[in-house]
Amino acid sequence: MLIDAKLAPIRKGLLEFLVLKIVGARSVYVADILRRLADTEFATQEGTLYPLLSKLRREDLVQYEWRESDAGPPRKYYRLTDAGKARLEALDDYWNRINGTIADIGH
Amino acid sequence: MERISVTARLNGMTLQFEEAAYARLESYLAEAAQALEGNPDRDEILADLEQAVAERCRTRLPEQPGPLTLAHLQPVLEDVGSVEEPEAQSVPPEQPRRERPRRLEQVSQGAIISGVCQGFARYFDIDVTLVRLVVVLLLFVSGGAMILIYGILMLVLPYAPEQPSGASIWKVPAKSREFVEFLRSKLGAVPN
Repeated sequence: MLIDAKLAPIRKGLLEFLVLKIVGARSVYVADILRRLADTEFATQEGTLYPLLSKLRREDLVQYEWRESDAGPPRKYYRLTDAGKARLEALDDYWNRINGTIADIGH
Repeated sequence: MERISVTARLNGMTLQFEEAAYARLESYLAEAAQALEGNPDRDEILADLEQAVAERCRTRLPEQPGPLTLAHLQPVLEDVGSVEEPEAQSVPPEQPRRERPRRLEQVSQGAIISGVCQGFARYFDIDVTLVRLVVVLLLFVSGGAMILIYGILMLVLPYAPEQPSGASIWKVPAKSREFVEFLRSKLGAVPN
């Protein structure tokens, strides 16, 4: 779809924001994040998510801890660091401003 | 004789694969490793991916006990998806380069004598070696007149502004340039 392709880079850029939002809500492991995004425009895959999470961890925005699971090996549970919370707040703020601009412009 | 299955350890989880499935998995992981080349967390991400594949394979174990086939593995790999790096570090915007008008001038950086040949090469957008060869040829053919021509060009042509980086390979050009500038100042001609 044309619209879909036009906004693909925007979705890609927003993925990090959404992941921070999901991780910010409660500590999650990768399958939780994938499930949360699955039915949205931002549906993604491990192949994209793991590199993104490791980048966020390098930037000290998220951290993880190992937790045992009932099925299979232990899992990495991610949560936001203080810097991550600050970044999320800033992104939220900026996103609201953009939204306001888009709503206002052209009227 | 034929090997029927391969046992693979995926981040600590053991799974049985048919030969073809194993080969497919191997190439998937090799591609992932390549896509993550240079990523400081490459090994960790690869381990994460192995685990993701293993966990998804477990939920798709064949009904009869036996190794996983390509038909089992293929949808798993499609679900996990090929590795995509988050957008690369933002590339610094290209330096706005002020286009200078094309001028015939000497390029003393990397010059052998004074940069006349380099200047011609740049002006006509040809290989400098070619220009130098022609000049050397003319030197012999012209019976020395070329030396005079080069000398005149050296004095007359302005020098191109130096690029910030990259020193010249030869010690000579700087000296010859100094010499030329000295001569010019003495002659009081041809402002540079």
